[in-house]
Amino acid sequence: MGIKRKWKYFVWTGVILLPAASVILLLVYLSPKPPVSEVEAARLSLSMAGSGEAATYSRRLFNEASALYDSAMINWQDENKRFILLRDFSRVKKFAAESQQKALEALENSKTSTSNLEVNIKEKIDSLNNLTVYFDRIFKFYPLPPEIWSRISKGKLLLRESEIAYSKGQYFQANRKIIDSEYLLTASYEKASQDLKNYFESYSQWKKWVDKTIRESRQKQNCSIIIDKFSRKCFIYVNGTRKYEYNVELGSNWVGHKRVRGDKATPEGMYCITKKFGSNKTKYYKALLIDYPNASDKAEFSREMAQGTLPKNAKIGGMIEIHGNGGKGIDWTEGCVALSDSEMDIVFRLVKEGTPVTIVGSTVQLNQLLD
Amino acid sequence: MKNKIFMGLAAFAMVAVLSSCGKKPQAEIDAANSAIEAAKTAEANVYLPMEFTAAQDSLNAVMSEITAQESKLFKKFGSAKEKLASVVTMANQVAADAVTKKEEVKGEAANLLTGIKTVTEETSKLIPKLPRGKEGAAVIEQIKADVSAVDASVVEAQGLYDNGSYMDSLNKIKAAKDKADSLNAEVKEALTKARIKF
Repeated sequence: MGIKRKWKYFVWTGVILLPAASVILLLVYLSPKPPVSEVEAARLSLSMAGSGEAATYSRRLFNEASALYDSAMINWQDENKRFILLRDFSRVKKFAAESQQKALEALENSKTSTSNLEVNIKEKIDSLNNLTVYFDRIFKFYPLPPEIWSRISKGKLLLRESEIAYSKGQYFQANRKIIDSEYLLTASYEKASQDLKNYFESYSQWKKWVDKTIRESRQKQNCSIIIDKFSRKCFIYVNGTRKYEYNVELGSNWVGHKRVRGDKATPEGMYCITKKFGSNKTKYYKALLIDYPNASDKAEFSREMAQGTLPKNAKIGGMIEIHGNGGKGIDWTEGCVALSDSEMDIVFRLVKEGTPVTIVGSTVQLNQLLD
Repeated sequence: MKNKIFMGLAAFAMVAVLSSCGKKPQAEIDAANSAIEAAKTAEANVYLPMEFTAAQDSLNAVMSEITAQESKLFKKFGSAKEKLASVVTMANQVAADAVTKKEEVKGEAANLLTGIKTVTEETSKLIPKLPRGKEGAAVIEQIKADVSAVDASVVEAQGLYDNGSYMDSLNKIKAAKDKADSLNAEVKEALTKARIKF
C-alpha cells in the first residue's frame, strides 16, 4: 500500500513538472536570440576606434558610432523588459551593425587623418624652420618695425610648441599651433620682403655707382673702396680688381640714405676720403673721413626741407668716417662704417686722401640675395 | 500531509534554483560607474588616456554581458559581478596613477616656471647693458620682441598652471624655456663681443 501511494505521488509530480519543464524548454526554444555577437562586435570596433584616437582625429564618426552603440544597448535593455516571446532585437541589431560600421570607418579615417596630419605637420615644421633660418639670414640686421619682430617671436614660439606636441604624438594640438605659427611667420616674412623690395628699387642707381667706381679704379690705376651695406662688406679694389674683402658694421638705422643729422643712417653715394686720422687723432683707433655731405646730398637735403618732408629744425649730418673699433657683430655706429682694428690697419695703409669711397645698399640684385 | 510538504519544498527549491544568481548586480554596476567617474575626476583621461579608455572599455564589456544575461530566462550574474569588481579595482588604480602622474607633471611645470623666471629676469637685467646709444637696433629689437613673447608665454603658462591644466602648461613652458635659454645665451654673446662685462 505504501509503495502504491509513493508511485501515485511520483506520477502526480511528473504530471505537474513535465508540462512545466516542456513549457520552459519551449519558451527557451521559441524566444528570439539576443544580439550578443552583434553588440560585442560593435563594442570591439568602438574600442579599437577609441584606441586609434578616433575620438580626436575622427570625432564626428566616432561620436556617431558611440551614440549608435548606446542606442543599441538601451533598446536591448528595453526589449529585455518585455515578455520573452514578444522581444524583438532587430532594432538592436541594426543599431549595433551601424555602430560597428561607423566605428570602423572612424578608425580608418583616424588612421588616414593621423598619417596625413603627421606628414603635413612635419612638412610644415620643416618648412617654417627653413623659413626662420632664411629669415634670420636675410633680415638679421634689417631694421624692421617692432610689431613685425613681435609677430615673428610669437610665431617662432608657437613653432617650438608645435614641435614639442608633435614629438609627443599630439598631432591635433601640434596642428593648431603650426597653423597659428605659419600665419604669423609668413605674414611677417611677406611684410619684411615688401620692405626690402622697396629698398632695392634703388639697385640700378647703386649698380651704376659701383660700375663707375670699378671702371675709374681700372682707368686711373688707383685704389677704391666700395661699401655694400646689405651684406656688410667692404671691398677694396686695386687697379679695377677686387683685392680685399672685410666685414663692416654700420649705423643702427642703416636702411636707406642718410637724411638728417642724428638719424643713425649710413649715407649712400659716391664719396672720397678727405682726411686720414691716425691712432692719436681719433677715438675709433684710426679713421678715414669722407666728403659727406657732397653737393648731391646738400641738394637733396635742401629739396626735402623745401618740401617740408623734414622737421624745420633738421640739420644735415656730417663727420661720416670709415673707422676702427669694429668686430662687435652688431650695428652700433652713428652712421659711420666700422672695421676691426687689424683690417683698419690694412685699409689705412692702402688709401690716401682722394681715394674714392662708394657706399651702396647692395652690390648684388635682390633676387640673387634671396636665392 | 507529509507529501504536500515535500511537494511544496520541491517547488520552492525549483524556484530557488531558477532564480539563483538571477538578480541584476545593480550595486556593483553603480560602484563600477562611480569608480570610472572618480578616475575621470582625477583627470585620468588627460594624464593616462590609454589606461582610462581600457577601464571604460572593460565596463562596457561587462554591461554588454549583463544585458545579454538579462535576455535569458535563467540569468546568471556571478561572472559579471567578478568582472565588475575587477573594473572597480582597475579604475581605482588608474585614478591613483593619474594623481601620481598629475603631480609629476605639476612638479615639472612648476620647476620650469621657476627656472624660466630666473633666466628671463637675468636676461632682462643684461639687456640694458648692451651698448647704450650705439646699440645694434635691429638686434636689440629682436631680443626685446623675443623676451616679450617669452614673458607672454610664461604668463599664459602660469594661468594654465593656476587653473590646474598642468599638461598644457608644461607643453607651453617647455617651448618658452628653450627660447629663454637661447635668448640668454644670445645676449651674453652680444655683450662678450661688445667687450662688456656682465
